[in-house]
Amino acid sequence: MKPPIFIIIMLTVISGTMIVLTTSHWLMVWIGLEMNLLAIIPILMKKHNPRATEAATKYFLTQATASMLLMMGIIINLLHSGQWAMSKNLNPMASAMMTAALAMKLGLAPFHFWVPEVTQGISMSSGLILLTWQKIAPLSVLYQISPTINPDLLLTMATMSIAIGGWGGLNQTQLRKIMAYSSIAHMGWMTAIMAYSPTMMILNLMIYITMTLATFMLFMHNSTTTVSSLSQTWNKTPLVTLLILTLMMSLGGLPPLSGFIPKWMIIQELTKNEMIMMPTLLAMTALLNLYFYMRLTYTTTLTMFPSSNNMKMKWRFEHTKKMIFLPPLIVISTMLLPLTPMLSIL
Amino acid sequence: MNLFTSLTLTAMFILLLPIIMSNTQLYKNSLYPHYVKTTISYAFTISMVPTMMFISSGQETIISNWHWLSIQTLKLSLSFKLDYFSIIFIPVALFVTWSIMEFSMWYMHMDPYINRFFKYLLMFLITMMILVTANNLFQLFIGWEGVGIMSFLLIGWWYGRADANTAALQAILYNRIGDVGFITAMAWFLANLNAWDFQQIFIVQHENLNIPLLGLLLAATGKSAQFGLHPWLPSAMEGPTPVSALLHSSTMVVAGVFLLIRFHPLTEQNKTMQTLTLCLGAITTLFTAICALTQNDIKKIVAFSTSSQLGLMIVTIGINQPYLAFLHICTHAFFKAMLFMCSGSIIHSLNDEQDIRKMGGLYKPMPFTTTSLIIGSLALTGMPFLTGFYSKDLIIETANTSYTNAWALLITLIATSLTAAYSTRIMFFTLLGQPRFNPLSPINENNPYLINSIKRLLIGSIFAGYLISYNIPPTTIPQMTMPYYLKLTALAVTITGFILALELNLATKNLKFKYPSNLFKFSSLLGYFPIVMHRLPSTMSLTMSQKSASMLLDMIWLENVLPKSISYFQMKMSTIVSNQKGLVKLYFLSFMITLTLSLLLLNFHA
Repeated sequence: MKPPIFIIIMLTVISGTMIVLTTSHWLMVWIGLEMNLLAIIPILMKKHNPRATEAATKYFLTQATASMLLMMGIIINLLHSGQWAMSKNLNPMASAMMTAALAMKLGLAPFHFWVPEVTQGISMSSGLILLTWQKIAPLSVLYQISPTINPDLLLTMATMSIAIGGWGGLNQTQLRKIMAYSSIAHMGWMTAIMAYSPTMMILNLMIYITMTLATFMLFMHNSTTTVSSLSQTWNKTPLVTLLILTLMMSLGGLPPLSGFIPKWMIIQELTKNEMIMMPTLLAMTALLNLYFYMRLTYTTTLTMFPSSNNMKMKWRFEHTKKMIFLPPLIVISTMLLPLTPMLSIL
Repeated sequence: MNLFTSLTLTAMFILLLPIIMSNTQLYKNSLYPHYVKTTISYAFTISMVPTMMFISSGQETIISNWHWLSIQTLKLSLSFKLDYFSIIFIPVALFVTWSIMEFSMWYMHMDPYINRFFKYLLMFLITMMILVTANNLFQLFIGWEGVGIMSFLLIGWWYGRADANTAALQAILYNRIGDVGFITAMAWFLANLNAWDFQQIFIVQHENLNIPLLGLLLAATGKSAQFGLHPWLPSAMEGPTPVSALLHSSTMVVAGVFLLIRFHPLTEQNKTMQTLTLCLGAITTLFTAICALTQNDIKKIVAFSTSSQLGLMIVTIGINQPYLAFLHICTHAFFKAMLFMCSGSIIHSLNDEQDIRKMGGLYKPMPFTTTSLIIGSLALTGMPFLTGFYSKDLIIETANTSYTNAWALLITLIATSLTAAYSTRIMFFTLLGQPRFNPLSPINENNPYLINSIKRLLIGSIFAGYLISYNIPPTTIPQMTMPYYLKLTALAVTITGFILALELNLATKNLKFKYPSNLFKFSSLLGYFPIVMHRLPSTMSLTMSQKSASMLLDMIWLENVLPKSISYFQMKMSTIVSNQKGLVKLYFLSFMITLTLSLLLLNFHA
């Protein structure tokens, strides 16, 4: 799309999220989320094919429903408290509705059905924005109302999300769907800790965003959308195979990479609150995630996947895609573990 | 100082000589059987002297020869207990064995390995002597196992025959089950009383002796073919007739009863044990008598008769009369061995025919055998003043006048009448009527070995009861006064049995043979016991072990429960989760349901 239009639309997206982040008036929250939604639709439809149209439609319908529910919650809150300010004591019904609405926006289970389909239908960079930037606004609202959310609801959604993120990703060969299910799982981890320590949620969000950004950029660099084409990267750019290895390990949450930090902190917070079975269950289902990340690395880095003969000698073209901040991002997503004591800045 | 100990030990040592000489030229000589027979007759004569000494002065001895080893506080030594039971049993056993040896010189004379046969019989006799004279449980166990092994070797004498091999194995297996009881008793005595010597065991007062006594009862059940472990005795008839005569009528099978008799100071105080023994013996005696009624092999009928009499001995122990049981052992040896020898004579005369349906009319051609068969059967059924009367009638009288289980007593009486019934059946089918065997049978009883051996036992069957009863030291006083109907019970039921059997046997000659009734089938298939028990437990335990080892452990626990089930579950779940239809309406429906549910459930408690 033409650069000026693209800039305006991106600015609208960013300002929408900024409004949500910085406001304390409920109506402005709704307005910011709506701006975000409306502006991102053209970005989703960057390539004009029916699949993108369908994805954009699904996204719009779901998110619009979520915004309506959010408005309903806001109005109930207005009814019961008589003011528009975002305060800590919310009416329980309003809180439940808002939680449900924001969960729909985030793609938590049981509202997760749209995430893989939308992610699959759009281009890689749109998917990137969808899975990273779009999570910031709803999570900030959740952060602000976190004291009043019913912990049962949150934990149910969290457990289900992690499980569904794990199981759903097992059966995929398309990279975008894999990343979609990975996002569902990570949202689950974030919501799990929200009732007890929202700071950890922010930590998880940060690290998740860096890792997902790096991963997506590597995929875009190779122009791969399926596992089988990813398995040819050893021929195109061997460095990418190594980076995929470390990034996948980090996404799976293995120490000593930085993907381990959020998981460790979350489990620690949960056990401090005397929940034993829950973090055990979460950690065990995270293994499912790890399994399909490992599958990716297996096909990419660790083995030479079967291919036809003339693929083995490719011309090496210079890569021309702009990968901004890719090296720092990769460093942050893999080597941050020793800096964990710096958490106190959050 | 008298010659008591020396003579007894001499008698025992004499028996060892032919075994020791078996490596020499003597063993390969054709005179070896004669040598063995004379050895046993000398041993008999010598052992009569200590018996006379015991009868005249009541002197009993314990010979403790050689200290074998001491394990911490348990001292094991070779010691012989020559008390009432051993001193009287030894000459009886030697006498019967002497006759059987002489008989088998005639019966087995065409066998190429006759020397080995005699050696085996002698080894059996030695182990039986060890068993009977043992003063501690260890030596008794040596004798116990020894008779079991010799029984195996002798039952399977004609080892080319598959049935003989399975019968020998069956004998060993059933005896082994009884040995478990024996070893339990030994272990209990060792752990609780620290002694295996009878003197020490009988002195100690213990409040609950159920476990060792149950073990000993199990041992007696195995060795003496009581109900539950009885099928080996009829199967043991696969062995040659002298083997059946010696082992499975007079000597080996009474070892179980002998063991219980030895422990009578312990069983006297334990009412539970006595009841158990009584009921077990009663069941055995009735069951085997029923089975004997429809058998067609003459040796099997006599084997079941043995089993029934063993049951009667156990019943006697159950009414707390060990001395009477012992008396019955001694008298029973005479006529039962003779019955077997008569059957052997008939079998050989009819060219190895054992089926009574193919015998008949031997009354005239074989007068001597006929006489001894009839006298043996009469002695068995307890005809007054023959041998069997002195023990059997006393037993029935004592059972009638003691405070005992009426049901056990009733079935013992029924079994007594059945004794008469099957004895009549034997006599009817083999001796009476028209001959049903081949015309050219070598019927001959002219051999002096045969005649002399049976004659000796015949005189014993007639007079031994009188001689023994009036010469033994007084033990328990038999009940002298009782109503006349109780006194005549044994005689009355026996005569009833005789008459009924004779009438039925005569009546069936004129009837058409109908399909066998269920009762007949029960009796002739031995109560279905071998058929069921030889197949069902083995199948079940083998199948269970295969299932538990291979299926349960290997295939289910190690393979399936964790590994396969987890992987299967995960694959199932992933296909379920990732398989979504793209219909947005369905998604919205799920959203609505979730929303409603969460609003309803989670809201109305806060």
